[in-house]
Amino acid sequence: MGLRWYHFALWIAFIGVMFALPEYVSKGTLRTLIFANFLAVFAISWDVLSGRTGYISFGHPFLIGIGAYTSAILTKRFDFPLEASIPIAVLVTMVGGLVVLLPALRIRGSYFALVTLAYMELMYQLVQVIRPDLTGGTRGMSGLPTLTRGAENGFYMSTCLMLAVALSTWLLMRTRLGTALSAIGMNEDAVSGSGLSVTRLKMVAFLFSAMLAGLGGAMYVHYLGSIAPRALFDINFVFTIIVAALIGGAGTTIGPIIGAFFLTFLLEYLRPWLPGAERYLIYGGVALVLYMIQPKGIFELVRQSLSKLRRAT
Amino acid sequence: MLQVLIQGLLLSGLYALIAVGFTLIFSIGRVLNLAYGAYLLIGGYAYFYFTQAIGLPKFAAVLLAAVIGCALGILKFLLIVRPLRGNHVAIEISTLILAVVLQSAVVLAFGDSSKILLPIIPGVERVAGAAVPYSNLFAAVMSWVILIALWIFIRSTHTGRAMQAVSMDAKGAAISGIDADRVNMITWAISGTLGAVAGVFFASYTQLYPGMWVAPLIIAVAVVIVGGIGSIIGTLIVAHIIGFMEVLVSTYLAPELRGIFTMVLIIAILVLRPRGLFGREEL
Amino acid sequence: MSAKLEIRNLVKRFGGLVATNDLTFTVEPGESVGLIGPNGAGKTTVFSQIMGEHRQTAGTIALDGREISKLSTPARIRAGVSRTYQVPRPFADMSVAENIRVGLMPDSVWQMISVGPDPARELELALAVGFSEDQLDRLPSELSMGDLRKLEMARTLATAPRLMLLDEVFAGLTVGEIAMISDVIQKMRGEGMTFLIVSHDLKALEPLVDRVVAINQGTLIADGSYDAVMADGAVRASYLGTA
Repeated sequence: MGLRWYHFALWIAFIGVMFALPEYVSKGTLRTLIFANFLAVFAISWDVLSGRTGYISFGHPFLIGIGAYTSAILTKRFDFPLEASIPIAVLVTMVGGLVVLLPALRIRGSYFALVTLAYMELMYQLVQVIRPDLTGGTRGMSGLPTLTRGAENGFYMSTCLMLAVALSTWLLMRTRLGTALSAIGMNEDAVSGSGLSVTRLKMVAFLFSAMLAGLGGAMYVHYLGSIAPRALFDINFVFTIIVAALIGGAGTTIGPIIGAFFLTFLLEYLRPWLPGAERYLIYGGVALVLYMIQPKGIFELVRQSLSKLRRAT
Repeated sequence: MLQVLIQGLLLSGLYALIAVGFTLIFSIGRVLNLAYGAYLLIGGYAYFYFTQAIGLPKFAAVLLAAVIGCALGILKFLLIVRPLRGNHVAIEISTLILAVVLQSAVVLAFGDSSKILLPIIPGVERVAGAAVPYSNLFAAVMSWVILIALWIFIRSTHTGRAMQAVSMDAKGAAISGIDADRVNMITWAISGTLGAVAGVFFASYTQLYPGMWVAPLIIAVAVVIVGGIGSIIGTLIVAHIIGFMEVLVSTYLAPELRGIFTMVLIIAILVLRPRGLFGREEL
Repeated sequence: MSAKLEIRNLVKRFGGLVATNDLTFTVEPGESVGLIGPNGAGKTTVFSQIMGEHRQTAGTIALDGREISKLSTPARIRAGVSRTYQVPRPFADMSVAENIRVGLMPDSVWQMISVGPDPARELELALAVGFSEDQLDRLPSELSMGDLRKLEMARTLATAPRLMLLDEVFAGLTVGEIAMISDVIQKMRGEGMTFLIVSHDLKALEPLVDRVVAINQGTLIADGSYDAVMADGAVRASYLGTA
């Protein structure tokens, strides 16, 4: 896998900093960090499918929603314990997502993006209309069992989740599988011309992405203790996930984490001046400019300036 | 029965107008313009501002909204599409970001709450038990006028034929001396204009609020996909299929189910026939 | 290292256009055959049918007597046939070594994860097509056209083919680069590789082939030694565009 000493050093430093944070920052900042952690999980999940293979999903909340709703319904309506409902939710996301999206993996480019957008909208409409006694209809559900209490515990829980997701994704993507997935994003025909079954590879990428989305969605819903369809199947939510992955650096594992933290804190620091949705104006503007300057994201910007520094010295 | 027919025709005309601007960009630039919905948003708000805040005559306001839409289309082409030329994924993502930016700009300028747009032509006619607001009738008639004008423009003017040529084969058109950049810019301008005008009608049909751009975008996407990329006739036919299906579903089943049928139709068509029902990749 | 290719009565129609018209020819194991014809003769279409990128309308394609028409492209590659493209299509953000690595991968997700890359084999393949060791870390954007063709050959070679289809290997190359690629092909011929080569550069093609098959408008017009085919009236006429 080509692991080097500095990989270990960087991971240990990253983990160390994350766990030291509660000592130094306020409860409010911790709550912001919790959101950043979840966003990082969703962005990594998006990136495994879209950032690597180039199949842009505009409907990732569709997968997150399956995980979130499955676990919410199981615990709220059928009194399942969390230990059972979350793994079931992950499985349902993988299987359910695969069954519906399998035919869509045949189609390429913009069409795939459109199908995923349509799926998200369909899911939004369905949960409101079909069996509102289960899904809570338009208003969603509240009073769901929560995993933790208090900002500090929530922070540790979300940090562990984020680190576990990040580390396993990073390790998996360093294998030849990761190389093959990135190759699909660069030139799908040449991958099949190298004797590899592209459809199977896309399916693996999709399953892994769905697993992370389902896990993230289920954990998130039991952190919040409530679920609302309008907030979940929202184009602004899609936007936040995609932009986090892109401006951090698509096709990498650390990129979506950087992007998620950058966006969350940008949004947070704008709050005192712009309390409403206007924050998205600045935030979207920053994202657009950053993206136009370097489509490969902050990670690439940092890498380039580091290698410039190295050459200068 | 007659009621369904009338409402179906009115809704379909509007959908066709919404979708046709989107089709133009897709067939000529081969790019999904996810900010297309934002033209409608800006058009609707511009009309609202000029009539209800400044008090201009309504037709002047529609015209001004069209001009703003046109300018927006050109700016987007110059600032985003041209610099990122060739990179479809980047263009699509930037247009999505731009749509969200424009939405927040609207929130900043007009607030979050929804606005009631005064009808362009007040009054309601009752036909066979169906209430037909003159506004909607006007919108449907205008849609038809604009679509026919566009069709004639593409078939019989020099610029229109250049657009056709670029949509069929961009390289071939370039070799024959067509300035693809200029054609692209004109297309983005027309698309912006059509979007803004459609926005005025769409907002008076439903309501004016900052999130109103998503639904028409999905309708445009649906019509274009099902109709086949870039086919104006296909767009027209499918706008009517979707329009009538929605009216039928909301009349005979339940109003809240109408979106579901539209989505299922899009997904089924995309998966089964990715090129659409009338798929020809040209105008 | 070699394989027999038999094409029988191959037909491909695109709507009203007949791209391949009842084409029959054979490539014997270890043989190197040139496939020539004027622009638009349907040479590349034949390649894409052999690889399964396009399905033929009628006819059979057999590798070592086994019908491969029903197989997917990756399955045909595992059966032992591989091709290069007119326009090299490297993975743009990957180094030369990583590009070759993709060709070397087994078509098994589990093995991709559990078994690491094989740098020694990557180096061996890179050297075999004429790269120098320090070029392994280069990105495709830093390579010349000749080097991109070499990379294409190396990645194709990495799939361990017994029959290689080379599409316009000399297009856009300098005289020196043509000589270098020719050397690589000659060396592989010496090792028993079977070739089917499309080229417009007949002079460069001549020393590389045992036999030439000429087609025009999808139809076979000549099949024989290089000199015999070049002397053929129909072949000359087709190149002059009067056929």
